[in-house]
Amino acid sequence: MNESYVSLLVLAAVALGLGTVILMLNGLLGPSKPTASKLDTFETGNEPEGDARQRFSIRFYLVAILFILFDIEVVFLFPWAVLFKDYVAAGLGTFMFVEMAVFVGILAIGLAYVWRKGALEWD
Amino acid sequence: MNGTDLVALGPLLALGAAAVVTLLSIAVRRHQRATATIAGLGLVAAACALPAAADVAPRQVTALVRIDDFALLYIGLFLAAAFATIVLAHDDLRRRAEPHREEFHVLVLLSTLGACVLATSTHFASFFLGLETSSVALYALIAYPRSGPAHAEAGLKYLLLAGASSAFLLFGMALVYADLGALSFDGFAAALLAGRGTPALVWPALALVVAGASFKLAVAPFHMWVPDVYQGAPAPVTGFLATVSKGAVLAALLRLFVALGGVERPVVVWTFGALAVTSMLAGNLLALSQRSLKRLLACSSVAHLGYVLVAFLAAAPVALEAVTWYLVAYFVTTLAAFGVVTVLAGGDREADALDDYRGLFWRRPWLAALLTGCLLSLAGIPLTAGFLAKFYALAAGTSEARWALVVALVVNSALSAFYYLRVVVAMAAPAPAAAPARRVPLGAGVLLAVLALLLVGLGVYPAALTALIRATATALS
Repeated sequence: MNESYVSLLVLAAVALGLGTVILMLNGLLGPSKPTASKLDTFETGNEPEGDARQRFSIRFYLVAILFILFDIEVVFLFPWAVLFKDYVAAGLGTFMFVEMAVFVGILAIGLAYVWRKGALEWD
Repeated sequence: MNGTDLVALGPLLALGAAAVVTLLSIAVRRHQRATATIAGLGLVAAACALPAAADVAPRQVTALVRIDDFALLYIGLFLAAAFATIVLAHDDLRRRAEPHREEFHVLVLLSTLGACVLATSTHFASFFLGLETSSVALYALIAYPRSGPAHAEAGLKYLLLAGASSAFLLFGMALVYADLGALSFDGFAAALLAGRGTPALVWPALALVVAGASFKLAVAPFHMWVPDVYQGAPAPVTGFLATVSKGAVLAALLRLFVALGGVERPVVVWTFGALAVTSMLAGNLLALSQRSLKRLLACSSVAHLGYVLVAFLAAAPVALEAVTWYLVAYFVTTLAAFGVVTVLAGGDREADALDDYRGLFWRRPWLAALLTGCLLSLAGIPLTAGFLAKFYALAAGTSEARWALVVALVVNSALSAFYYLRVVVAMAAPAPAAAPARRVPLGAGVLLAVLALLLVGLGVYPAALTALIRATATALS
């Protein structure tokens, strides 16, 4: 086995062991005086009110999905923009430009599709 | 990347463009027939790019994909199967009257694109990318009809298990990279042969990759999802899932193991041999008690993948020929069988229960004859494509003198004949009260006729296909 992995294993074992031991000591040694408000759900120190299970509009889900989609586009665009000058210097400028244009183009078509489908309308 | 590379990638590019154009056409106007036509034309365009790509083959395009005759043959096969799926789905979607039927075609194109990438992949990265492109589209395809909970349940089951199997695959690839620093199949093989691998890492890595791929192939003991998903998915999608998604994974596995210098090592032979025997037995024993035709075909597909693995274990050129032959015959037979299930659907339910087939010979003689042909082909009766496929698998097994596998194959074929013939007997039984029959639409009718011709044609005159496959098998080995 590769020796450098041993330290990782030791770290994992210590982390697990420490957590387990402290939690167990808590349960064994700590005094336990439960009251009604102690056992209740903690909500910023106030008395909890209402139910945590609420109905959300399903549109949040759609908007979140669309956000992730176009957010990832930016994630890819950013390193490309940073490195673009190096690519031009290496003679790969046209290739990289066309590649990114295809990528952004496909996403633009996707945007046109969701727009047209009405996924961006709130009502 | 230059002009020749683009020509070599032509089929894949055409398929990707077809998906985008289809999506755009849906954005412009919703019309099921128009969308289906555009998607079908996209598949034809991709097929038309095949000869040009064959002229420049074999060609390695980047480190990820290799376009050679082997890949092009499989791409052609997947394109044809996708075309058949779209034709059958046209009927199925119209019957269901779902509100959003058009996106179905985009998903089929994307899933096919993933399968084609798998067939060309020479690198673990493209292997994984192709697999995910193919499966992510399939999740949605399986759960496409929103009319009942069964479809969503099947889609969710496939999503969870395919996700788990992808995790296995990725972990295996990560171990390969951690140990050898190589992700291309050739680099992996070279490092292994040079003896650079740490056995404690490399063998678990290969085991994880094989386990992940076995989930997709639904080889026992990784077959639990198959009956539920086959039954829950709409019949055309089931046909697509049974053929394209499994064929693609098998093509990628073939490439990987040919790169690894065949499958000479005893560990590999024992692993795949055990997988083959358990899936033959599990599939056939499970199929014996099924009361639903789709579940029966699902269990039989588990057994068939076991037969394919017997062929897979032979030496490289023989294995390539036998596996490819088996796949072509299996594609034709399975697509025809699920095609019959599709067109027999009536009202708001599919013809799934065996009781729906009671007396079919008297009500729909042509469809009953075709389904009989499919079942006989699956059982491996002479004069059908399935017989020669099984013959090839047997020949591949005997060429390596793997008698245990050969005996298992023969015994299981006999076992399987029982439940196939049970369906045929049910179809020949006296007809119950005549249900109003739906007419077979023109497109599906033509498709089924072509498949029927192929089913018998391949069984009677196999020489043309054999020559074609032999020419491509040399490209890989």
